[in-house]
Amino acid sequence: MEKKYWKGLEELHSDAEFVKQKNNEFAEALPLEDVFSSKATNNSTTDRRDFLKFLGFGVAAATLASCEAPVKKTIPYLIKPEEITPGVANWYASTYADGSDYCSILVKTREGRPIKIEGNPNSTITKGGVNARVQASVLSLYDTARLRGPLAAGKAAKWDDVDQKIVAKLNAVNENKGNIRILTASITSPSTKKAISEFTAKYPSAKQITYDAVSYSGMIEANKNSFGKAVLPSYRFDNASVIVSFGADFLGGWISSVEYSNQYIQTRKLRGTTKMSRHIQFETALSLTGSNADKRVAIKPSEQALAILNLYNQIATLAGSATVSDKAVPCAKDIKAAAQELWAAKGKALVVSSSNDTNTQMMVNAINNLLGSYSSTIDLDNHCNIKQGNDAAMVELMEEMNKGEVAAVILYGVNPALTSPKVDDFKKGLAKVGLKISFADRADETASLCDFVCPDHNYLEAWNDAEPKKGNYSLAQPTISPLFSTRAAQESLLSWSGNKMDYMTYMQENWKGTIATTQSLTFDAFWTNSIQSGLYTAPNAPATATTAPTVDLAATASAIISNPAPKGDLEVVFYEKSGIGNGAQANNPWLQEFPDPISKVTWDNYLAVSPKYAGDNGLVAGTVVNLEANGQSVKLPVLLQPGQAYGTASVAIGYGRTHAGKAANGVGANVYPMISVVNKAFHMMAAAKITKTNDALHEFAATQTHHTMMGRAIVKETTLAEYIKNPAAGNAPELIQTNFGKRPSEEVTLWNEHENPKHRWGMAIDLNACIGCGGCVVGCQAENNVPVVGKDEVRRSREMHWIRIDRYYTSDMNEERGHEEHKGTKDVMHEMEVPSENPQVVFQPVMCQHCNHAPCETVCPVAATNHSSEGLNQMAYNRCIGTRYCANNCPYKVRRFNWFSYTDNNKFDFNMNDDLGKMVLNPDVVVRSRGVMEKCSMCVQRIQEGKLKAKKENRNIVDGEFKTACAQSCPTNAIVFGDYQNPDSEIAKLEKDQRAYHLLGELNVQPNIIYLTKVRNTMSNEA
Amino acid sequence: MRGPKFLFALPLLIFSLLFLNTAQTQAAPDGEAIFKQNCTQCHAVSGDVVIGPGLKDVTKRRPKEWLHKWIKNSGAVIKSGDAYAVELFNKFNKTAMPAQNLSDEEIDGLLSYIEKKSSEAPAAAAGAPGATAGEAGTEEESDNTGMILIIGAFLIGLVYVLTLISRRLAKAVRERNGEPEPEQLKGMSWARQNKTIVALSIILLILIGSVKGWYALSSIGISQNYQPDQPIAFSHKLHAGEMNIACIYCHSGAEKGKAAGIPSANVCMNCHKYVKEGKVTGKVEIAKIYAALDYDPATQQYGPNQKPIQWVRVHNLPDLAYFNHAQHTKVGGQQCQTCHGPVQEMTVAKQFAPLTMAWCIQCHIATPVNKANKYYENFKPVDFNKYHGTGDSTLTVEKIGGTECSKCHY
Repeated sequence: MEKKYWKGLEELHSDAEFVKQKNNEFAEALPLEDVFSSKATNNSTTDRRDFLKFLGFGVAAATLASCEAPVKKTIPYLIKPEEITPGVANWYASTYADGSDYCSILVKTREGRPIKIEGNPNSTITKGGVNARVQASVLSLYDTARLRGPLAAGKAAKWDDVDQKIVAKLNAVNENKGNIRILTASITSPSTKKAISEFTAKYPSAKQITYDAVSYSGMIEANKNSFGKAVLPSYRFDNASVIVSFGADFLGGWISSVEYSNQYIQTRKLRGTTKMSRHIQFETALSLTGSNADKRVAIKPSEQALAILNLYNQIATLAGSATVSDKAVPCAKDIKAAAQELWAAKGKALVVSSSNDTNTQMMVNAINNLLGSYSSTIDLDNHCNIKQGNDAAMVELMEEMNKGEVAAVILYGVNPALTSPKVDDFKKGLAKVGLKISFADRADETASLCDFVCPDHNYLEAWNDAEPKKGNYSLAQPTISPLFSTRAAQESLLSWSGNKMDYMTYMQENWKGTIATTQSLTFDAFWTNSIQSGLYTAPNAPATATTAPTVDLAATASAIISNPAPKGDLEVVFYEKSGIGNGAQANNPWLQEFPDPISKVTWDNYLAVSPKYAGDNGLVAGTVVNLEANGQSVKLPVLLQPGQAYGTASVAIGYGRTHAGKAANGVGANVYPMISVVNKAFHMMAAAKITKTNDALHEFAATQTHHTMMGRAIVKETTLAEYIKNPAAGNAPELIQTNFGKRPSEEVTLWNEHENPKHRWGMAIDLNACIGCGGCVVGCQAENNVPVVGKDEVRRSREMHWIRIDRYYTSDMNEERGHEEHKGTKDVMHEMEVPSENPQVVFQPVMCQHCNHAPCETVCPVAATNHSSEGLNQMAYNRCIGTRYCANNCPYKVRRFNWFSYTDNNKFDFNMNDDLGKMVLNPDVVVRSRGVMEKCSMCVQRIQEGKLKAKKENRNIVDGEFKTACAQSCPTNAIVFGDYQNPDSEIAKLEKDQRAYHLLGELNVQPNIIYLTKVRNTMSNEA
Repeated sequence: MRGPKFLFALPLLIFSLLFLNTAQTQAAPDGEAIFKQNCTQCHAVSGDVVIGPGLKDVTKRRPKEWLHKWIKNSGAVIKSGDAYAVELFNKFNKTAMPAQNLSDEEIDGLLSYIEKKSSEAPAAAAGAPGATAGEAGTEEESDNTGMILIIGAFLIGLVYVLTLISRRLAKAVRERNGEPEPEQLKGMSWARQNKTIVALSIILLILIGSVKGWYALSSIGISQNYQPDQPIAFSHKLHAGEMNIACIYCHSGAEKGKAAGIPSANVCMNCHKYVKEGKVTGKVEIAKIYAALDYDPATQQYGPNQKPIQWVRVHNLPDLAYFNHAQHTKVGGQQCQTCHGPVQEMTVAKQFAPLTMAWCIQCHIATPVNKANKYYENFKPVDFNKYHGTGDSTLTVEKIGGTECSKCHY
């Protein structure tokens, strides 16, 4: 039987473009003709003899020159700071809080420059987790697009002049009683808030308005109406045994996703327990959260509020409470099932919704109240401060500005000329404001419209504090001197208010009077402790009993029914990608090249529609369409996304930047202006219309084009019920036919075993704990100097990431079904390529498997890759001659070839092409040159460093004292690194776990990476 | 070229050796030792102020009896209301000199040492450059071989060309005069008759040439004995050798991490705040440290116009190799000299080892690990026959994987 494997869906469907390219080895014509027939060559006075002379001279000169080693200077410190030892890293605790993400972090600095961000394991909130954006933020420090100093009317200016002019203008505004508005993103910093209040005290007409690009104001308003507390609650996903989410992507970006990821996985790890939470997701686009759900129901965005009403009624019926009026929804059966499960888990249930509609959120509150979730899975006392935006205030500001009632506006941490709905209104209004000041770090879309730009420090250069959750304080300290002539925004505000105090002293003074009074140490000791740990948790205030919501639910319900969400032929939702987020860090090439966890597309946003919808409307992958919604229109390519609800589309925000810098400008399209404004609230959805354009098919730069496992056990999985019966369920050993019958593949080998005198390093990856977020991908990139290659090279499958996360969809077709339906093998194979309409999703991080019987090692003609006595598959770059035999012989396709030099190469104009961007490089890891193979080294530099530390301290290695970068950055600790030969290590125990298996075990290459089977908490009646 | 320079250098060398010798015999050992032990923290033998006044010609300024009293208990002298003492006390920030527990003989020795130093200071300064010139001369002698060979080859070439020309001219003369050509040269005919010997010699020459060429080529990029000029004539011989300063006093990173580190200028200042004049180069080189730090000896403050010192790197390990000093010093217990050679004898730092991979590996094969370190305790016995040496059970660096690629290359 001859099998046919497809390179991708494009080949399978024989797209016209693909067929054309297939027969053409060189996608682009080689310019041979141009070179040989050009007039310049023929008329040149340099003849062959001259050429040979020059060549000869060149060779001789080069040979002579290479004999003399260049003189290298070594320039020590004049006065060395006491804490710095060149070659030894210093770590500082700090805080990342940019108004959308919060993480307590540790910053690794080498010779005074930050090179890596890691999670702070002592944090009570993020517990050592970080996401891709926080990992990548260290590169944003070295962004060449950052302003070098203040700007006045778009021209470089001096701080003194700028201050003088601004103060004069502010005073004039103040005298005329003109309105001053300070538009900020959510501020979690108590000292910054105090600085702003000092400013508003000096200028009484000033008012602060909080505006979030991705708004949660409906929820805040709902909590105000329900409980009299205008806050976001803290969630405890770890206390929930049944979680129902309506569109809330709480693993991907919703409020405090790093915190929730860690909580969520606590009940799903199956370590020493067989209890596992049950997670049902009702959503439109296939989100990271939805792909991890045990059951996922695709609904249209306009159905969400009604579905919640239905759920309320179902639960109210079970609880014996009064029901409210509702309206039928297509997913009624699933709602009913969900209601029963929730009710059965009363007191341990949790319902969340992404809706920004106050009424809908009030219904969610009512549901949670019936379920007894308050005080168990929802905590309103220790509320969350991460989002505080107020949409109504923003809408009013835009109206005020357009009426010419605002005399001065100060923008801090916001970019409304990019992110605002009805962006033209905003821009028109802004033009009418007399004095416009921005604290942006670059001349971005809004700052470029301002009179003055007073660039704030990068967060790694600045002091700051944060209170992400009530009573949980977090401190940020500078880890590098400011690179440019920037100034902390707080200092700017203070100096304009006449307070010349520097911000650190100001912060200390603030803490002295407030936070420090909650403890008993002297202030100096307290301050030193807090800075050192980066954290301080105030003693808990006594919890106040949450009173039942006093809301007229019937009125709320009828308001929901009478005010339907935007509805249309095509309903489009706008979402944040795990990498780019709200677009603030869009100029970070690591994030641009970070593959979307679901679509695996890099360097783009797109209109994702379900394959069926695309088929019905004559769309194919890459069709460029014109998307019209809310009076705006953009061109976007179509992506076929299994799991997307029929009749809906989804587009990521944060793209289409025009003033962000070289990496972000012109990538994708900006859809923020399409966000619907209903009742002065921003809804991340719109009714839309699409029209096909005549543009050529768009080619996506995707790192994975093959979407199903084709019936192979690449990711082994089982259900919870099966797992309880047999922990080894779904993990059958691979058998090989031998002379003695079928034997396990481990018994069939040609090779001698390797000796491991002391260590055998390895990693265990729990596929149940991996949520596919991709934090490890960026963590690895930062640690190992992995270059960015750009959109074109990713299209050629030449991305350099050492770790990838494979994402597979289930297919409706499988071999058994094909057999039953009497289909031919070819047809079955064909159909197995096609993902289900609403597929189950698995994620599998794949890095070098460090095989003990590695196929790559045996084919290297120069032994550049070979095995170490510690179980590592080592790669000596300077020995590699670039035959690429190893990559061809690797069954896991984890080897990466340097097709080009990615440093100092104008064709790859990313961070490694400028001196500033190179400052992020890890000096302990070599930067690979053109023509050599590279791959995951299992962070050998960290292993060596960890061993050396133990040796210097005259002791043995303690399990877990050092980790690979991917294991370190995992917010759910899905990756466990350790030494198999240390019997007390976690990995030695996991190796014996019945869920453990080797990827492609039938090959018996004996990897040092093990995977633990995925267990789904699905009911027997669910697929 | 070689002759004159050598001849010039030789007397200087002899002179300086003689001078050093006499200096040593003349010095009152007592006085010098006492001075170094008790006085150098605050005083210089020159006229320079350190913390207390410079002691040059102090015996001429003050009578011996007064000095004796002052040294034994300066506080008492000030208390007694001695005008000079009080003035001195006020002039030096009212810091009293601590009383020294010295006998009269010791003080006499000390004063005679200062007396002697005061009188000879200029002579010493003049003598010192002579010494360095002498050393430089001997250094260059060995460096000249290459040049001499080239000149020799050039001269041989010249002789050959001249011979050819003269032959050609003789032939032309013969042709014009119509004289017959002489018989073939004797040598050539001998060669024709003994072709085997000629062929063998040529083969031998080619072989020697190839071997020599191979080694010459394989030494490209190896900078053993690299000894670049440094911006400051710092002498390890003086500091590490004569003064016996421990290596890690300056190269403090050597037991902590990857880089041993070039000391920062403030480390130099720990001593050179007080030692303002060197015994070899006088004030010239020390002044460069001061200039770098913009240091003002009078106020003892660093100024704002600091300029980093651009040392020339001697040991250039390529970026592809990772080397960690702490592993070898703190853990492995290696002496600095194992790789860096007798640094304490080097006037100018020099690359002692070839720093080739073969050199690293040879040491890793031969060196046993430090089994006292608890980390090395539970290494499983491995098949020692596999390694160099048969069945030797000594746990060497190689046997724990110390010659594997990713121990150094990542």
